[in-house]
Amino acid sequence: MLCERCGENTATVKFVQIENNNKTELHLCQSCAQGYTNFSTGFDLQHLLSGMFQSGTLGQQLSPSRPVKKCPTCGRTILDVQKTGRLGCGSCYEVFYDELNPVLRRLHGSSTHTGKVPARGYPKARISRQIEDLRGRLQECVRQENYEQAAKYRDELRQLEKQLAGGDGE
Amino acid sequence: MKKIASWMKDNGPQGDIVLGTRCRLARNLQGIPFPEGASRDDLRTVLQQAQEVLPHLQDLGGFAYFEMGTMDTLDRQVLVEEHLVSPSHTQNPQHKAVIINDAANVSIMVNEEDHLRIQVLKPGLQLAEAWRKATEIDDRFEAHLDYAFDMQSGYLTCCPTNAGTALRASVMFHLPALRRLNKVQEVLGAVSKFGLTVRGLYGEGSDARGNVFQLSNQITLGQSEEETIEHLARFTDQILHSERQAREYLLEEDRRLATEDWLFRSYGILRNARIITSQEAMELLSDLKLGVDLGVIEYRDPELLKQLMVQIRSAHLQKMMGQALPVQERDRLRASLIRDALNGNA
Repeated sequence: MLCERCGENTATVKFVQIENNNKTELHLCQSCAQGYTNFSTGFDLQHLLSGMFQSGTLGQQLSPSRPVKKCPTCGRTILDVQKTGRLGCGSCYEVFYDELNPVLRRLHGSSTHTGKVPARGYPKARISRQIEDLRGRLQECVRQENYEQAAKYRDELRQLEKQLAGGDGE
Repeated sequence: MKKIASWMKDNGPQGDIVLGTRCRLARNLQGIPFPEGASRDDLRTVLQQAQEVLPHLQDLGGFAYFEMGTMDTLDRQVLVEEHLVSPSHTQNPQHKAVIINDAANVSIMVNEEDHLRIQVLKPGLQLAEAWRKATEIDDRFEAHLDYAFDMQSGYLTCCPTNAGTALRASVMFHLPALRRLNKVQEVLGAVSKFGLTVRGLYGEGSDARGNVFQLSNQITLGQSEEETIEHLARFTDQILHSERQAREYLLEEDRRLATEDWLFRSYGILRNARIITSQEAMELLSDLKLGVDLGVIEYRDPELLKQLMVQIRSAHLQKMMGQALPVQERDRLRASLIRDALNGNA
């Protein structure tokens, strides 16, 4: 068995840790074992995320009079999401929107997607996005007095606007 | 399935400083729980749906499907060393798969943290090219599968840090001169203020072995893919500029001799060592690459050097010998392989 830390050397040392009746084993090689301590700063992505979910919303959720929100598709509850900092399926984003929205804002500085849109199911939205994007580029070209490129964008823009109005691709 | 991935051995644009570029898109299927909470049946459904898309990818360059569970440990480790799968994709490999093209510069991990992780790798600095290829492959999947997506939050991912574009673009830098001058922290330390992050060679939690650092975007919501790429490209230019300045500084008149001495000493060890660990070899090969890129050391083939940096890694070494080997044996073989390559006997 290879060392679970470096993945390079053969594991020759086994660490066993028992915490709250949970037994965890760690197989390490000689050199990794020397530097090994089970001290954890608790400073990892999951803890940080979990902390973000819990600030502000946990108090309300724990009040016994309120039912615990649960995702009908995957069965995750808001408590699971708060604990792990992770979502269980696509529907979770809608079900836990109120709790998730502030977290997304803190993580990304925004909670609104402005990128690619799948063609299937969202043909019009995809075209609208492309139009928005082209308008931005067109303005930038005009500002830089690059009229040749601007004319190209304008033609593309007209084409897309026609598609959108005509409902092509629906 | 074994020649070294093209993106790892070729020298791309700005190849003296940028080893490679990567774009990764996370995608999930609608109505199926994300892998960590999915049932075996769910996972099997995802594998099957991914396989069904396979024929529609073929004109983009021969793709093959591999189940992680049926692969032997060494093969899995080779894929990790070539960045074609993540280390976590090799743990509990049941119901996980990877789709890889012939050139081994595109991989699609199935049932990793998300149902699909589409990854494109390019040698040197090729951010726009990597993104274009990734979105092209994404379109092929999307034409046959319903993605978990909404207009507000974009592509929906297991971890909210990826939601939105679900694009992670990375540039892999070789920064030996900045490291030598203790300036890496100064140059890379500020990036987190700009929505970017720095990691070591093998991603999350790994050390910067051989002076290799990965710069990636952190933000995936509120900016388009093109904006993300442009933002990363701007930073990349600044880092390139700093590393080039550091390299010039190391060659200034009063420092040149000390620099040459340092680089030739590393070269000397590589050409003569009888036992060498992969860590030491990576550090010394980094010095040698710098020496060659600066024109201080003459070496017939820079691409061969880049290739050597991959061949000496543990799994590649054992794969080459066709068997698992004890550490001492690997260190001995590694030293011998390097000596042969550098003394012109390869």
